[in-house]
Amino acid sequence: MNILKWFRSWEAALVGMLVAEIFVIGSIAPSFLNLENLLFSTSDFMHIMLAALPLTFVIITGGIDVSVVSIMGLSSITLGLSWVMGVDIYAAMGIALLVGTAAGLLNGLLVANTDIPPLVITLGTLFMYRGIATGLPGVLEILGFKAYGAAGFSAYMYEGITGLPGKFTELAHGSIGWVPYPLILVLLFAIFLALILQRTPFGRSLYLIGVNADAARFSGIPVKRTIVLAYITSGIGASLAGIMLASYFTSSRSDLGSEALLPTITAVVLGGTSILGGSGTVIGTLLASLFVGFLKQGLMAMGVTSDIVPVGIGSLLVLALVFKMAVATLNQYRMNRHALGVKDTI
Amino acid sequence: MKLRRLLQSRELVVALILLGIILLIGFINPSFLKPDSLLAVLNSSLILMLISIGEMFVLLTRGIDVSVGAITGLSAVILGTALNANVPIPMAITLALLVGLAGGLVNAIGIIYFKVPPIIMTLGTLGIYRGTMLIITEGSWIERIPQAYKSLASSSFGGIKLFIWITLIIVITVTVLTRRLKQARYFYAVGDNEEGAYLLGIPVKLTKFLAYSLAGLFAGAAAVVFVAQIGVVPMQTGSGQELRAIAANVLGGVNLAGGVGSPVSALVGAIFLNVIDSMLIFLKVPGYWNDAVAGAILLVVVLIDYRIRQTLTVRQRQERLQAKTIAERTPRSLVVKEIE
Repeated sequence: MNILKWFRSWEAALVGMLVAEIFVIGSIAPSFLNLENLLFSTSDFMHIMLAALPLTFVIITGGIDVSVVSIMGLSSITLGLSWVMGVDIYAAMGIALLVGTAAGLLNGLLVANTDIPPLVITLGTLFMYRGIATGLPGVLEILGFKAYGAAGFSAYMYEGITGLPGKFTELAHGSIGWVPYPLILVLLFAIFLALILQRTPFGRSLYLIGVNADAARFSGIPVKRTIVLAYITSGIGASLAGIMLASYFTSSRSDLGSEALLPTITAVVLGGTSILGGSGTVIGTLLASLFVGFLKQGLMAMGVTSDIVPVGIGSLLVLALVFKMAVATLNQYRMNRHALGVKDTI
Repeated sequence: MKLRRLLQSRELVVALILLGIILLIGFINPSFLKPDSLLAVLNSSLILMLISIGEMFVLLTRGIDVSVGAITGLSAVILGTALNANVPIPMAITLALLVGLAGGLVNAIGIIYFKVPPIIMTLGTLGIYRGTMLIITEGSWIERIPQAYKSLASSSFGGIKLFIWITLIIVITVTVLTRRLKQARYFYAVGDNEEGAYLLGIPVKLTKFLAYSLAGLFAGAAAVVFVAQIGVVPMQTGSGQELRAIAANVLGGVNLAGGVGSPVSALVGAIFLNVIDSMLIFLKVPGYWNDAVAGAILLVVVLIDYRIRQTLTVRQRQERLQAKTIAERTPRSLVVKEIE
């Protein structure tokens, strides 16, 4: 790979932005500039990274999955309920992952087999999964299972299912040296997804489907299967995020992650994935989600209340897109001038 | 033939399903069919109805606006603050509508002049408006809205609430305008085929600009109803309404691919979603199943619609093929007869 070419890429710009951001915030709030602090603060937004990384696949195909925020809560509550019903905590994690896979499978099947816009389908499943997540404990109660912890129903409504075993909560709180487990999980997941996207026929066909699904079908790519797999990946990522959130907050709730939609999509789009499909990288999403996450942490370290954080993230999202569009328009203009033989004046 | 025409009108299909559901609930719990309870459902759908009609314009032009809920919240906060600062009621309402319009204008400028994809632009402004709302109020609810303003919600005319009258008049006006006014058809033309519309000389940019501004304005109007009806402005005002507004439109037959739909779609969809909410109360199902039922119904309706469209296109194609084969056969058979 040409190193000079890499320096002009969007990922390089993101690395620059990330470094600049850390130093700007650090110069205002010196306590922020502490490696240990920085590494551990990633745990606060690991669910955004875990959901955004596989969402990249879906957006590359030209789709979108807004139901990830509900899959987080659904997985989290499934985990808690399975555990309360006496399932071993590791098996409960497996069940939660299976639920996430099934949720992604349903999204994928509906998107691949109809011409209904993915936004409509995942909007429907967003409501459905969220409703199931809030209603599930009640069903188990009717079926005669003891769905709540020792504290009873009112305590459950207030604080979720608490008292999860220590070996489970350790997953989000433990660390190897200064590197917390969640960050390790995120990095491994990112490497795994990046390899799939760059090195397998499945990964490459995602791009072709995003550019032109008809052309992909005529080239013999199993379009439906690929789309279904992309949504399943997204469901698994959201499910992992839900499990880690339950571990991080030491309680399993149905509304965990419900605020994550804006930062998650911001991370993917800021990472260079085109919302229209056809381009994007996992590394870009990883860097952008770090940028978004540190922005949030940095604003809080600067003493800004958490209310203003969405303003920051929202402005960032819009500005990033305005910038990208401006660069694209400028390039187009240059190419047009070049093709006409006019001397480049800019 | 007639049946096909009717089936293609999604508003009617959904309205019939809605009627069926209302009758079914009435069968199980007759008190639901009392005019009072039906009017109460209608009254509680007004907020969503107004947001949905605004959203409809954007969807018609093949755009999407997920910031309308946040605009409603921001307008409500401005309205509440203004009322508590003893601003006269008409002034405060105008202010709220202007804030809504301004919110829509910001979206329009970003989407049309900076060419930011609509979902990204409005997702960004969703965060910005919601944050601004929290900054203005510093996170606390606005309470003690003047009684004079709250009484607007309870005042009625001919046994029906004032707001219902106003909203119905708005819906009828918008419906008539979108059917009769040439300029209103531009929304459909732009959504159906943007380049074609441009080549026909339709002001595409202006039309889209108007669509996002109208979405903001209607979201502001929803805030006016909200503050009067609820009487306080909580921080989650309008949150999640953008998704419900899109769902209402899709239910009622507005196509996200642009160019299809009517204000009646938004109206029927909004009532539908609220009937589901009330239905669960009347059927004594715990309220936290609302989302699951609403999501499932949305999916079922779009899937049924997909199946109907699929069958219709297949049948049309078959008819065309048959017509072709008949046309090919006729001359040859005539020739054969002549020889005999």
